Amino acid sequence: MSKTLINVIDREGATREVEWEPEQSLMETLRDNDFPVLASCGGTVSCATCHVFLEKPVLESLADRSEDELELLEDAEHYNPEASRLSCQVQQCDSLGGINVIIAPEED
Amino acid sequence: MSEEAIVIIGAGHAGVQAAVRLAELEWAGRIIVVEEQDGPTYERPPLSKEFLKPGASDEIAALRKESYFEDKRIERITGATVTGIDAGARSVTLSDGTSLGYFRLIIATGSQARALTVPGSELPGIHLLKTRDDAQALRRAMRPGAHVVIIGAGYIGLEVAAAAAKLGCTTTVLEFQDRVMSRVTSAPVSRHFEQLHQEQGTRFVFGAAVTEVRGNGKVQEVVTADGSAYAADVVVAGIGVLPRQALAEAAGIDVKDGILVDADSRTSDPNVYAIGDVTRLIIKDQGINRRLESIQSALAQAVSAANSIMGLTNTKHEVPWFWTVQHGVRLQTAGLRLPEDDIIVRGNPKDGRFSVLYLRDGRLAAIDTIAALSDFTVGKKLVASGAEIDPEIAADPANKLTTAVRELVDETR
Ligand SMILES: Cc1cc2nc3c(=O)[nH]c(=O)nc-3n(C[C@H](O)[C@H](O)[C@H](O)COP(=O)(O)OP(=O)(O)OC[C@H]3O[C@@H](n4cnc5c(N)ncnc54)[C@H](O)[C@@H]3O)c2cc1C
Repeated sequence: MSKTLINVIDREGATREVEWEPEQSLMETLRDNDFPVLASCGGTVSCATCHVFLEKPVLESLADRSEDELELLEDAEHYNPEASRLSCQVQQCDSLGGINVIIAPEED
Repeated sequence: MSEEAIVIIGAGHAGVQAAVRLAELEWAGRIIVVEEQDGPTYERPPLSKEFLKPGASDEIAALRKESYFEDKRIERITGATVTGIDAGARSVTLSDGTSLGYFRLIIATGSQARALTVPGSELPGIHLLKTRDDAQALRRAMRPGAHVVIIGAGYIGLEVAAAAAKLGCTTTVLEFQDRVMSRVTSAPVSRHFEQLHQEQGTRFVFGAAVTEVRGNGKVQEVVTADGSAYAADVVVAGIGVLPRQALAEAAGIDVKDGILVDADSRTSDPNVYAIGDVTRLIIKDQGINRRLESIQSALAQAVSAANSIMGLTNTKHEVPWFWTVQHGVRLQTAGLRLPEDDIIVRGNPKDGRFSVLYLRDGRLAAIDTIAALSDFTVGKKLVASGAEIDPEIAADPANKLTTAVRELVDETR
């Protein structure tokens, strides 16, 4: 199986390619690769510190956001209905290779 | 300075975060984390939640993958216990007989689950829940039909009760107080969760003082002060945690039910910091004197300690927050309530979704949200800014919480 590589754009606008390992959530990958996602709640949909933007077709290809996730996102400062996800809720799969992930700006 | 070592004792949420933060701030010397457990450190919250669900996997997310530490040149010593601190010589002794010198020491030894002390407490079948091993043992024991008696209706006790009920166990919760989660929330929230558990078949006994556990070779019943006996195949004690402060105490560092620390997580020894469950935060001029056992607090203290070591001051202090999930219902709390706060119930608990606001001198001091995450996010910001709230507007969930704000007072903390 080939590796799943994704492009991550950080809060300064710099892009870096990282490997998304099988079985990992996107949040874990971002955290392991040193992106500033605090993920205070450890991936349990309790905070919005792992907020990312995905491209619309990618978002649409994924399963729907749960009610909890939507509620947290809707009140996040930089919520974009067509792009926002909590990265802890996105699981690795091969079809996600090559996608662009933008880390959402920090909340105050 | 490049050879100066920062030694961190304990690789839980607090210890790992401190190491990560120091690496992020490019500490030039060594960063050494000593952990008595073998293997990677993992998330604890799932141990009483997802991990106990029927058919749950054995996997628990690690806090960081192994290679992360290597990449960051964070040195890890696992399977070794720190047995002593020599504050004068600035060194720690390890169980393998070696010692490590430090420039700064960070104590992140966490807490241990409080064990029962009544007669019979040593009987097999009595469980505590702190580690993955504990959770595995509990999961094996909670077979369908088993009588599970949970002592203590705090967060962990109730999360276990929910899991036990789901697994088909006959579940009883014995609690000394007159309602669940009485230490951390108000009566309307307690009542809501009691009802939720009762609907799923859990029985509560309040005012119950456990005096003895009986059994022939293993637990069979739990006895309370009024002479009642509750049949039990499995007993879970969820009666709080104790800070693991012995090392600090022996080294002459001030402790009082927790290692005493200030807002920068400094202890009474200028070279030593303490973070996480093991601490008690004291900020005299704000009247703060508290021990918190939460991920949020552990992470925040880790960051403040690392910042302070790196000479950064003014670490922004986040409003404390916490969550628990029971029978799929999420309670999230921001801020710290006091029993004497004024209470506003926003929404109708019967709808399964409501919030409780805690006002102190008219300002929002804390909020509990039940299945109402949008109030949580907004409420947390309003607590941080010390917002004065119009109780009538706030009580009606049709109004956005922000419309109830009379005045924002940003107390610079
Ligand atoms: C079952 C369970 C569920 C929880 N759920 C939630 C939740 O939903 N939300 C929430 O916010 N919080 C929750 N908590 C609380 C949260 O997990 C703790 O507040 C947090 O883990 C504290 O982190 P810590 O690093 O201070 O301590 P710990 O996680 O206790 O880590 C301390 C580490 O230090 C090591 N250690 C101790 N002494 C020594 C020594 N002398 N030498 C070497 N190593 C040593 C220990 O082995 C341990 O690994 C839960 C806790 C439990 C047990």
